[in-house]
Amino acid sequence: MSIRTTITTQFQQVAVEQKRKLATLTDDLKLIDCGLDSLSFALIVARLEDALGVDPFSSEDATSFPVTFGDFVRLYESVAK
Amino acid sequence: MRHAVPGRSTSEHPPVIVTNASGNPTAHMARVCAEPLYFPSGGRGLLGWLHSPVRPDASGMGVVICKPFGNEALCSHRAIRVLAQTVADLGIPALRFDYAGTGDSAELDPSSDQIHAWVSDIVAASSELQRLTGVQRVCLVGFRLGAAMAALAAMQCDRIGGLVLCAPVVSGRRYLRELRTTRLASLVGAGESAMSADGSLEVSGHTLSSASVVALGEIDLTTLAFPPASRMLIIDRDDLPAARSWSDGLTRSGVGAEYLTLPGFVRMLMIAPQFAVVPQAILAAANQWLLGVEQRSATAPPSENRRAPVKPCPLALELPGPSGKRDAMIRERTVTFGEDVELFGIATEPQHGEPRRRAVILLNAGADLHIGVGRMNVSLARSWARQGYLALRMDLAGIGDSPTRAGRPTDEVFPPGALKDVAHAIEFIRTSYGISDVTLAGLCSGAYHALRAAVANLPVSRILMVNPENFFWKEGSKLEELQLAEVVRNPVIYRQRILSLAAWRRVLSGEVNVWRVVKVYFFRPLLALESKLRDLARWLHIRLPDDLGWELEHIDSRALRIVFVFARGEPGIDLLHIEAGSSIRRLGERCRVHIIDGADHTFSKESSQAVLEQILSDELFAKQPRLAEVTRAGAGDSCVERMR
Repeated sequence: MSIRTTITTQFQQVAVEQKRKLATLTDDLKLIDCGLDSLSFALIVARLEDALGVDPFSSEDATSFPVTFGDFVRLYESVAK
Repeated sequence: MRHAVPGRSTSEHPPVIVTNASGNPTAHMARVCAEPLYFPSGGRGLLGWLHSPVRPDASGMGVVICKPFGNEALCSHRAIRVLAQTVADLGIPALRFDYAGTGDSAELDPSSDQIHAWVSDIVAASSELQRLTGVQRVCLVGFRLGAAMAALAAMQCDRIGGLVLCAPVVSGRRYLRELRTTRLASLVGAGESAMSADGSLEVSGHTLSSASVVALGEIDLTTLAFPPASRMLIIDRDDLPAARSWSDGLTRSGVGAEYLTLPGFVRMLMIAPQFAVVPQAILAAANQWLLGVEQRSATAPPSENRRAPVKPCPLALELPGPSGKRDAMIRERTVTFGEDVELFGIATEPQHGEPRRRAVILLNAGADLHIGVGRMNVSLARSWARQGYLALRMDLAGIGDSPTRAGRPTDEVFPPGALKDVAHAIEFIRTSYGISDVTLAGLCSGAYHALRAAVANLPVSRILMVNPENFFWKEGSKLEELQLAEVVRNPVIYRQRILSLAAWRRVLSGEVNVWRVVKVYFFRPLLALESKLRDLARWLHIRLPDDLGWELEHIDSRALRIVFVFARGEPGIDLLHIEAGSSIRRLGERCRVHIIDGADHTFSKESSQAVLEQILSDELFAKQPRLAEVTRAGAGDSCVERMR
């Protein structure tokens, strides 16, 4: 399963669990508009660490969160290399 | 109407089992008595609820429930309350409580080490349970960070009979990462850093001091010098199990540690209370294990197991007053009131001798209990009491700590009995405190209920409405159904995506609910048309049903102060404009609308909460009945806007 597919699956699963309406996941979709809240993102990041073995936010130097869904996917793709 | 004198209250739950939309049982137990109380810990007063079996057995064991941290405590309130009730139903007294600086307990110095204080609070709660009930041994049941702190507290207590650790935070460093990620995600586009300059960390309106961050980072249950208890049950998350290897290590070292993974933690702890689900499998496993421990310990003669219980004295929580002087304290009391249902609330009383007789009632937002998101209602109540107001933060029937009406589901956001509950609260304040100048304040559905109370001519002086998302609600509607707020909010987003190839691919593959999108587009022009027709009808003095404009003008005619506060971008702003139309223009400054930048729907960040508190306070203390024209509110990035 590709990183993008894994991430997409996690977004969809968490949205269902949290009873939230997930927007269509396109690269230019702003995460702030995707329908999930910060707690959902923390859950997604924790599960992606379990699935992919990486957490791009684990460093204390991580000072910002991706703005769009595309940024989010690219961040994981770059860290997982 | 029956009123309780302000003070300690006792509630017995009706022998009715009903469920909410998520299948949560409300309670159950005629054999259980639940009673709020205050007890001391480190010089601070903590609020607890003692769930006592009406006929306790002689096992001599009790249970202290250790809550998780922050928003998880808010979301899991129902589950923890049900757990306490079911434990008591087994014949075992259970105490749930709020750590210092959380929930309804007294404040904690913001710079102190909260972890250290909260572990001490667990020890104090265990002692208090022993003092109140006479039990000799205590089992601690903890959730997430509460589980880790329960393990640490057990090492300081010689009377701990066992530990139930639910989704325990085994590594504080990993938990801190999770909190930092939550914080980072909440700051998307805000340009702020996750950690503040002083090293503290704020998550969803709950702040961990820098000392607490350090202390939390040092928690590692796998490196404890000795096992925290001789008997342990570890119930791990099925989606992200984190305690397996620790549990295996404990077993190898000879500790009786049972390990399970069960589903249900996400829907218990990490979802808004109106959607949260009581995790039946987790509660059943915990109860079964506790019963086993209790039965083993019941083999000792009762006289060795149990001392004579000591009844608590009625207590109020004393808090520093405006001057900080001992003789000018404000006080909090648990109160109950109502007729068919014994509603629960906390009354924060101004200092003795306050000549001004005025009160404010803080209503639930969604199904959040009376403390509010980020504990905002506690902060507002104490701040306003210091300025001379009596503040009552209450739970509507079926929410928080109020029992559910017979035949109704729990955690209803728009219960049909809400108007009756608000009327009881107003009457309670009038008869118990002699106050008739009453303000209603609420966020989201709380704003809706405040508006409905004013429209229904309940005797109130002001309504402070924060981020209402709807002004009308049809009985039988569901939150998941298409609401007008979505109609107002979504066309812009849909328009942006209509040219997206990926979006069309998802439409064609069935991933998008096309019918919902069509409905949004269909309803939007209808709303605009309806708005024009309502304006025309008002001009002709014809009253149409569900006419917000007419209702606001009616409220205004009774000299009530009407205040709306919105976070910028909230759909309620447009909805107010559409549904009240020309009435808003006619009311002018008599219907005040504040818009705050940089806030979310629940004002979950401390900075936006501070701005909101300032605006609400300014409006509350503005002279009645009308305020002279004001063009700027006094705080932050807010502004007072005229709707045009």
